[in-house]
Amino acid sequence: MRLVEACRTGIRETLAHKTRSALSFSAVAIGVASMLYTFAQTHGMNQEIDRAIGLIGPGRMDVEAKKDYVSKGLSPGLSADDADDVRRSIPELYMVYPVAKHWLNELLSAGRKFDNVLVVGTTPEWSKRDWVYTRRGRWLSEEDVRQASRVCVVIEPGGWVKKPFWASWMWEGPFEGFLKRHDLLGKDLILGDHSFRVVGALRDPPMDKDPRWGHYSEGNVSVLIPVTAMHSMMHDYGQKHPRSVDSIQIDTGDERTLPLAKRRIEAILKRRHNGEEDFEIKDSREEIEGQLKETAKYTLAATVLGAVAILAGGIGILNVTLAALFARIKEIGIRRAVGATRLDILSQFVAEAVLLGLCGGLAGLGLGAGGIAYLARHTDRDLASLTWYHFAGAFLIAGATGFFFSLYPAWKAANLDPVEALRDE
Amino acid sequence: MIECRDVVRVYGHEKKGYPALRGVSFAIEKAEFAAVMGPSGCGKSTLLNIVGLLDRPTSGQFLFEGKDASRLNDAERTMLRRRTIGFVFQAFNLLPRLSALENVCLPMTYAGAKRAEREARARELLERVGLKEKALRTPLELSGGERQRVGIARALANRPAMLLADEPTGNLDSKSSADILAMLQDLHEEGLTIVLVTHDPNIAKGAGRLLRLKDGKLE
Repeated sequence: MRLVEACRTGIRETLAHKTRSALSFSAVAIGVASMLYTFAQTHGMNQEIDRAIGLIGPGRMDVEAKKDYVSKGLSPGLSADDADDVRRSIPELYMVYPVAKHWLNELLSAGRKFDNVLVVGTTPEWSKRDWVYTRRGRWLSEEDVRQASRVCVVIEPGGWVKKPFWASWMWEGPFEGFLKRHDLLGKDLILGDHSFRVVGALRDPPMDKDPRWGHYSEGNVSVLIPVTAMHSMMHDYGQKHPRSVDSIQIDTGDERTLPLAKRRIEAILKRRHNGEEDFEIKDSREEIEGQLKETAKYTLAATVLGAVAILAGGIGILNVTLAALFARIKEIGIRRAVGATRLDILSQFVAEAVLLGLCGGLAGLGLGAGGIAYLARHTDRDLASLTWYHFAGAFLIAGATGFFFSLYPAWKAANLDPVEALRDE
Repeated sequence: MIECRDVVRVYGHEKKGYPALRGVSFAIEKAEFAAVMGPSGCGKSTLLNIVGLLDRPTSGQFLFEGKDASRLNDAERTMLRRRTIGFVFQAFNLLPRLSALENVCLPMTYAGAKRAEREARARELLERVGLKEKALRTPLELSGGERQRVGIARALANRPAMLLADEPTGNLDSKSSADILAMLQDLHEEGLTIVLVTHDPNIAKGAGRLLRLKDGKLE
């Protein structure tokens, strides 16, 4: 019997046994829906990682002083001059900026005093990566750096779009809280002994929409000033080198140019540090790879869950097809007697199950897409961005489930002795 | 047409099982009308299953048009069966969810006939058995006699060489029985080979030849 006939018979039988069909149908539908949810989860997560990499920069490096390194006294240590030299020597680098951190003991604003405020001295290139802010006023300029201007930019916390219950236990610095409530743009801040004009205010994105995904290059910074101002104003800052910095952030702009650039920067710094290798260049890819590994783990877990759901659907089909077989022994006998071969019987049962699988799959796609759209509206995860091949994949899996799990019952049906089957009442 | 040579059919274990047929030999010629008679449990149905290529003898030979059919595998027997043999059952054995027309189409579907072709043939056959108006009814909407007429139409679908009828009037009232028998007679007169199993001597009388089976052997 041709396939069309098998399908026609399949449709007829499916419709004739509504409860039975509905049961395996819903089993597959739920399986497909959860499969789809799995796809959505992992797809959303991959997108977040991509976005995070885009923010961090694909060719990002972090130069820091080597930990536990005992200097021979030759090296002046990492300084803003190093950053300038790297910038000059390799102009094709997308981004080079120094980071000088200082925990301020005393900050005065509008008559209020705060302690332990993190101030970062840097250059305008700071804005080239990790820029997730909305800005008011202006950003630091090259002129500010040249003049060591006493200007600063503050970063206001972004709060939450929808505050989760556990957020109330998160620690918030008093200055952060102050920034949230007061607009300091255009006002003066007293940092230590010097007054700085607030020329710009950056606002963090809401915590639950923050694409940095836990990646903060400098910790919770509240105040940014020109690195030159940092060096000239903060007396207690200077260490070995008057222009000492904590790190130099570099991005080549391209993952492929990173290894070469890394070697060249190494050479420049080694020369400047009189042969001492007292620094280390950390490649952000390591960090990203760590995140990817985490994602892979999560993906696997979610896929296993989806597979289990599909398996349950498959066993449902197996069960239903077996039950159908026992209810239809007589029919099989009649069909055999009037000329159906074993293959005819086999294809009839398989066609029925595949049909059920596909219908269930279709319903599952609807269910899954609806559920995901709902979840995407009510959570922070980006779930709705599924592409056609996720749907096609889930649909095919549903069909394949019907196919494979009906093979055994169909094989059993096909191998019934026609005489015995005819005698069945 | 067909020939049985010392056909033995044992159910279950070959040595210890139950022997339904214990060495049956006979031949039926083309266009013969043969009745197989005997009390219940004598092996009538077993014989019919072997003749109808649904079953194989445990030992002995069954020749179908000179070929040894006992050596054919399942698929070969099925193909031969659907081309050459039509079954009429006591319990009609129609598929309850299919219409009369679809039931008649079924053997042609399995034989690979085109849809239009088989529907035309089925209508023609239903008209012949007097059910032209009831072609779209399901078996549940037909009387016993009508059901058996659908059964005969189905048996004739692939223009078989032989019709096997297992107690075709066993579930029918006398009026319907007479109709069915008359129909079989007509078919016989047109040249169809018919083997009919019955335990009713009156029905057997209509056949040209009588095979009496008792305890698995021909008398």
